[in-house]
Amino acid sequence: MNDFPLPVRAERSNPLARVFDELIDFCRARSMFMLHYCTGCGAIELPPAMTSRFDMERLGIQPMVTPRQADILLITGYVSIKTLKRVILTYEQMGSPKYVIGICSCTVNGGMYWQSYATAKKLNEYLPVDVYIAGCMPRPEAVIEGLRKLMGEIKAGRANSWERYFREYDRYLAAQQNLFGPNWQTPTDIIGEARDYQLYGPGTEGRHTELLQQHQVPLQPLRMTLHSDVEKSS
Amino acid sequence: MNGEVGRPISRLLADVDGARCERKGDRRVRIDATPENLPAVLELLKGRAGYLHLSAITCIDWMDDGEFELIYHLWSYEDRNLVSAHIRIPREPGVYLSVYDLFEPAGFFERDIHEMYGVFFEGSPDQEKFILTEWNGPPPMRKDFDAEGWVQGTFQWEDYRPEWLQEIEEKGGGIAIKPEQARANTRKIRGWKQ
Ligand code: SF4
Repeated sequence: MNDFPLPVRAERSNPLARVFDELIDFCRARSMFMLHYCTGCGAIELPPAMTSRFDMERLGIQPMVTPRQADILLITGYVSIKTLKRVILTYEQMGSPKYVIGICSCTVNGGMYWQSYATAKKLNEYLPVDVYIAGCMPRPEAVIEGLRKLMGEIKAGRANSWERYFREYDRYLAAQQNLFGPNWQTPTDIIGEARDYQLYGPGTEGRHTELLQQHQVPLQPLRMTLHSDVEKSS
Repeated sequence: MNGEVGRPISRLLADVDGARCERKGDRRVRIDATPENLPAVLELLKGRAGYLHLSAITCIDWMDDGEFELIYHLWSYEDRNLVSAHIRIPREPGVYLSVYDLFEPAGFFERDIHEMYGVFFEGSPDQEKFILTEWNGPPPMRKDFDAEGWVQGTFQWEDYRPEWLQEIEEKGGGIAIKPEQARANTRKIRGWKQ
């Protein structure tokens, strides 16, 4: 998988800047907003993890309702192919740095749906996953353990696999096109963003992004009307 | 009263040629009908015996017999009794009549069966895609659709022997039944080709 190892963030020489970086990482690890897009049955362990019994909020993890304001995308269980499209759209809308946690065995390898025509198997192929929490389904303790692991990685400045999505976009797009067909297109311009964030890497563009650019339709603003054109079927 | 629920149904169906009625349990009656007389059977049940609720239509693919079995589950709120009317239709061309005019919910069930098995219901209001709006393959619940083959040809698998697992295995732990072995066992038990 790691054709292009991520560049390690060099420690800055100015000690004050280093302290500042560490402070930022610490703060980041301590205030995480979690988009709970509950895809599968594993989501049932989240209410106890979030509410008073296990209380994730004491670790600084809170639920958030919009992708634009969220840091963590929690995939709780099997992703059907239809859901996966929505998950990718959601992921691309999130602001960086963003982290993906795959809860449940189903996100690792399809779990008990391994021979199902409707379930995507390896989440890591379509999105860069930071932490997997295996189990069918993992208990709240395990969920919190996984989140703590992610917090540790963020604090240590190692949780930067979201950069992969920009640096190796072609590879992720290849898997997406393989599943959704060659006409797959999302509203987000990942290549442009990669350039903008200076995350353009050798794997950002390739065969599959070429294919994307061939058929890419520029986005049109949605037409707003007061009355719905759709006739109500009586 | 329970024991008597079955009798009116069998009396009701006495006039319908080829419909057999059998009590399966306290609250269950099985009717074996034919594709020709099923609409009549349903109409009688609804109009004369109070079976107002069509709770589901089930489809079974009997590939070896070349037939689809359709089962209409009807519930009576008065008798608190479930009647299942079974028919078999030929797998090819797999066309049957809609019962939408009798039971409106049938529209959904028929659309679902059309999507999953490819059975076409004449007279059903809508046979468009329902849940699998983004699926272009064959109807996936047909027995001749090889789901596992499709999966193997479409998806990659996560490495089952990552480095950290090898470390655990050296200490005597690890996965008890290897995934390849588990899959081979499943195939053997179910009699699929290896
Ligand atoms: S791993 Fe088990 S609990 Fe989790 S989504 Fe899959 S089937 Fe459901």
